[in-house]
Amino acid sequence: MTIAQAALTGALIGGLYALMATGLSVTWGVLRVINLAHFAMILLGAYLTYQLATSTGLDPILTVLITGPVLFMVGAAVQWAYDRLHVAEFTSLLVSFGLLIIAIQAVTLIWSADFLRMPGDINPYATESWTVGRFVFPVTTVLAFGLALVLVAALHLVLRRTFAGRGMRAIAQDRAVAAAFGVDHQRLSLVLGGVAGASAAAAGMVFALTNALSPTAAYEWFGIVFAVVILGGIGQVVGTFAAGVAVGVVSAVVSAAWSPATAPIVLFSAIVLALVLRPQGLFTLRSVVGAGR
Amino acid sequence: MQKRVRLAAALVALVAATAACSSRSDDSGSGSGSSDKPIVVGSTLSLTGIFAATGKIHQIAGQEYVDRLNKNGGLLGRQVQWKVLDDQSDQAKVGQLYEQLISQDKVDLVIGPYATPNILSAMAVAQRHNYVLPQHTAVLAPQLTYSCQFPAWSYGPRPNEFIPTQLFDAVASLPDAPKRIAVVTSQSGSAAFVTDGFGSDKTGMLTIAPQKGLQVVANVHYPPTTSDWAPIAAQVRAAKPDLVVNNGLGVDAVNLLQAMKQLNYRPPMMFALFPAPGPLLGLGDLSAGTLTTSLFQPDQAGKLGGDVQAIVDDFKTRATAAKLPYPVFETQAAASWNAWDILADGVKAAGSLDQQKICDSLHADGAQTTFSGKVTFDPADHNFWAGTETLAQIQGGKWVTVWPQDKAAAQLRGPAAA
Amino acid sequence: MRRYGGFGLAFLILAAVGLWGRDAGVPGFVVPLGITALFWIAQATSWNLLSGFSGYFSFGQAAYVGTGAYAVAVLTGRHGVSLVWSVPAGAALSGLLALAIGAVAFRLRSLRGEIFALLTLAVPFILAAVASINRTIDGGQGTTIPLPSVPGWIDGFPQLLFVLDAAVAIGALAVAAAVQHGRLGWGLTAIRDAEDVAEGIGVGTLAYKMWAILLSGLIGGLSGALYALQIGFVTVEGVFGLTIPLLVIVMSVLGGRTHWLGPAIGALLIVTLQDRLAASGYTDWNPIVLGAVLAVLVVVAPDGLYGRMRARPWAVIGALVVPIVAGYYIPYGDLQNWVLAGMLLAALVAVVPARWLPARLLRPPRPEPVPAVDRPAPPEPGPPGETVVECRSVARYYGGVHALEDVSLTVAGGELVGLVGPNGSGKTTLVNLLSGTVRPSRGTIAVAGQDTARLAPHRIAHAGVARTYQIPRPFDSMTVRDNVAMAGMFGRRRLPLAQARAEAGAHLETVSLDRLAGAYPGSLNLHQRQLLEMARAVASEPRVLLLDEAMAGLNPAEIDEAVEVIRRISAAGVTIVLVEHLLRVLNQLATRLVVLDRGRVLADGEPQAVLADPAVVRAYLGRQTRV
Repeated sequence: MTIAQAALTGALIGGLYALMATGLSVTWGVLRVINLAHFAMILLGAYLTYQLATSTGLDPILTVLITGPVLFMVGAAVQWAYDRLHVAEFTSLLVSFGLLIIAIQAVTLIWSADFLRMPGDINPYATESWTVGRFVFPVTTVLAFGLALVLVAALHLVLRRTFAGRGMRAIAQDRAVAAAFGVDHQRLSLVLGGVAGASAAAAGMVFALTNALSPTAAYEWFGIVFAVVILGGIGQVVGTFAAGVAVGVVSAVVSAAWSPATAPIVLFSAIVLALVLRPQGLFTLRSVVGAGR
Repeated sequence: MQKRVRLAAALVALVAATAACSSRSDDSGSGSGSSDKPIVVGSTLSLTGIFAATGKIHQIAGQEYVDRLNKNGGLLGRQVQWKVLDDQSDQAKVGQLYEQLISQDKVDLVIGPYATPNILSAMAVAQRHNYVLPQHTAVLAPQLTYSCQFPAWSYGPRPNEFIPTQLFDAVASLPDAPKRIAVVTSQSGSAAFVTDGFGSDKTGMLTIAPQKGLQVVANVHYPPTTSDWAPIAAQVRAAKPDLVVNNGLGVDAVNLLQAMKQLNYRPPMMFALFPAPGPLLGLGDLSAGTLTTSLFQPDQAGKLGGDVQAIVDDFKTRATAAKLPYPVFETQAAASWNAWDILADGVKAAGSLDQQKICDSLHADGAQTTFSGKVTFDPADHNFWAGTETLAQIQGGKWVTVWPQDKAAAQLRGPAAA
Repeated sequence: MRRYGGFGLAFLILAAVGLWGRDAGVPGFVVPLGITALFWIAQATSWNLLSGFSGYFSFGQAAYVGTGAYAVAVLTGRHGVSLVWSVPAGAALSGLLALAIGAVAFRLRSLRGEIFALLTLAVPFILAAVASINRTIDGGQGTTIPLPSVPGWIDGFPQLLFVLDAAVAIGALAVAAAVQHGRLGWGLTAIRDAEDVAEGIGVGTLAYKMWAILLSGLIGGLSGALYALQIGFVTVEGVFGLTIPLLVIVMSVLGGRTHWLGPAIGALLIVTLQDRLAASGYTDWNPIVLGAVLAVLVVVAPDGLYGRMRARPWAVIGALVVPIVAGYYIPYGDLQNWVLAGMLLAALVAVVPARWLPARLLRPPRPEPVPAVDRPAPPEPGPPGETVVECRSVARYYGGVHALEDVSLTVAGGELVGLVGPNGSGKTTLVNLLSGTVRPSRGTIAVAGQDTARLAPHRIAHAGVARTYQIPRPFDSMTVRDNVAMAGMFGRRRLPLAQARAEAGAHLETVSLDRLAGAYPGSLNLHQRQLLEMARAVASEPRVLLLDEAMAGLNPAEIDEAVEVIRRISAAGVTIVLVEHLLRVLNQLATRLVVLDRGRVLADGEPQAVLADPAVVRAYLGRQTRV
């Protein structure tokens, strides 16, 4: 029973992992930039949610209506900078790492290094849950799961069905040829960077609902998010979602059945095993967007 | 090439700035007035990085102490200047910076950094140079082997025995004393010892509980980077304990309480070992009655008398100005203050800056600390004096001292009524 | 050995500075700062050995540091074993770990870069969790390392640690230099540029990568073991954290990944910068400045600072030395600030456009010495008629697709066999099978009598098979001459570099590319690149040469030229299998035609007869065609 409940909440929090990871995965797969500044945007999204909710009394979930567009612009701006400076692949890793360091310090300067948590009267969601039968569904993780589903479904449809989406997949495979077919790489990459930023805003908002914020939280997401991105297949939105849920479930079940202390061992060993058996990514159904190393 | 020009100009500006800021490091100082050269106390603190939140508290408290000290004439008739460097929460930098402070900058005195691994690295350096090291927050006595290291916060030579014993004795005094406990432990060196003991000494919560007639119904260890608390909460809920003990740090207790509430479970009683004090208060009703171990709460100011209230108020002003969300002077700041007291007392008793004399004086006469009274240092116990900690409890949205009874500002409350 | 004397000298100087510097007036910051800098130099160099040279980015450097540190922590800290044993034990354990990682990761033939990165990222997480759980290793408590006793003639422990760290760091640099200039380095570079091509010309890629990761692990672990002494108290978070892996990548990329000195330059810059930021008192701005410098330098010099510095060495050295000397004499501020200013100025000078600097300070890079052209001894042609290639009932399936079915084929020495067929008939698959890029699902293949079906591609290359690629795949970071020399160096004859380069000149003459010998493939057009493919293939003195659509995309004049080249090669006695569409080419060259259709051999014989075969015509033109 405990294990079943844990598996359920694990799957739901996997939605949060997927929400964090999707933006990174898509910009990595399509635009070939490994954007560590994505973590900075999630962090900013979380802090902005905190700030807006505590100073204006706005419902924290609704803050995403403001932080979403703001971080869309930030994401697009960052992507524009990468394009202008011809930053790609592993160079982008370093440049974005520099941006991340700066962002974390900026957050520290504005909000202090201490833990910030929205008080209960402003944020009632942190402790709420719905009970269905013998199972409990915490509200915040259901929200994360739902948002992740929406994001994945929307991206999947756009990437597969619309011209813009096909254009993005074409860019990933061969930029020059895509341009010859009229695909405007500049505009599409800005849009994609913006979408990643907006998804970061949503992820940050959910994170702020459940957690006390501290500037160095960004570093704690690296391991899980990278695991989800690569397990799911870089650039594969549906795969990323499935990988997030899988990671959440495996961690939770091991924590409940054995010990939370062993969860990282089992999880990362399982990841290693999965990659050895299926190097192209666990959930990659088709050939991966973009070429190899 | 335009962008390259701009970027190159930025680099030039950087070079100029670095050369220019060289002047800073020489004379950042409080204390003027005296014509003598100031006494320089060197240390590092984690002002950036993962320990920054608490590092900031120590910086504010330390600066307040030094300002106060200088206003009252300083040490040995000279002003005191505190040279504190940022170790960026990086253990390797702590060693390097202390080495530089001592051997290159030739500071007169040193005081410890924050966080146990950093303190131990600093201790190694201090030991090599035979410098006295008062340190704020490392309480695991067996690890602190240097005889001239002086703790400002002590649970006695066996903290893994003191803490559980104090807690269990306190809850035993309740009319409906808990019988079943769940122990949820962070795998962090600063917390795990309370549950598991240290090294070959297995004394800890798990061994003491049965001795006090308590049954351990759940024993969960979690990594410090846990992000999904639901499985732990589910295990605790399933065990139906009367008292949940979280030997953890930071916001672990907050996360745990929240996760349990999401599963519609509220533990009758809760103990958090070294929580960040502010966030727990923000949980409102959910955290009412939570216990913790405490060195000082403002409600003790009256009992301690003297300048304590003024110190507490001054700290609040400074911390608010520094935008700390919880600007209350409590355990961490008190530990910092004690450390400076020990340093100052040692220097005064020795009458000089000779490290050996200071160390010997402290061993011989102990020190008078503002928040823990007179403490004595026995090298056989690694200088760890008998603990004076209290238990504090959240009542009415504030931390209140509730145990032992002679120090209590309010009554210890039992399990919340259903 | 002489070139490594410089490293020995560097170590002696550092040791002297560390041991007796204090008395000689060396500033007090040198030893503590030096310990930190030397640690990072060793780590960054260790990382670069695998990841920079071969392109397999590792995120797991912390695994080596942690293993080395915990070996010392457990053996010395908990059980009192002498450091003389525990430090090498840390290195050895780390090396074993590296081999294990390599054994898992490198055996996967379809391993992509990101997958390898994640595999290496997972390892420190696993090790950290194991150490946390296991009370004999750590159990979450941390371990104190007792101060080692220092021999009387050494001032103190930091001095001893400085000397040890210097030994490891200089040793690491020496190893990296030796690797770079030796066969291993060339092989790794080829792997980085185009791994399967490298395998095809005879580079034993698995062995080379394992060597690289082993060296990386040994050095990382050794340096990690000394790190335990440096921090004095070993905790899981302290040694398995993400800081180390990220910073070594930063330092190596900043300094330059293709040269052994690059990571050291990056390490020195970052360490000094961080030290000065910490000392400046502007705490709030430390990380912002660091992040900004990092981002700016990476954007301006994406290939690293070393390459730029090398192009104008005197300007750089001057920019570095002048501020330091000035700082020594001008009593304004800490000397370290002047050192940092010098480093930043040197970096600046390295990256600014050339026209900003006085021409005197710029020295063009020394051009590569042009080696004499050395005609290789002509290969002994096997007795004509000797079977060079024999395929028996070879089949290759991809899932449900039968790419090849029951193909039997014999090629005799000296023949020039044309392999033709409509699209999708399996021509390239057959070439891939012969060169070993894929294994047959069924059947046997023998080259010069040796069964190749189970051999690794580089061994098949050594058996005498060479191939070109339909889309040319040169090694982009090497000159045209070196591209060809690689085949000589790693092929059957395993020539030393100098001789391979000399012979490369001759091969380039054969394909008429000799005047472009010093150019880089990026500047060649398609035709030239295809000629380069051929030259490289020929340079390995193969018994059989597989040319896969070598004329694709060429204009008629270029085709004629290519035909001439092939004729010259064939005349030299090389057996050729030519996959081709163009009939006139086949007519001019082929002594025999083999026609494939939907995976099966349709016809095999003299060109005239085959081309008149109605079945062949129908396959090409469709069933309705009447002959």
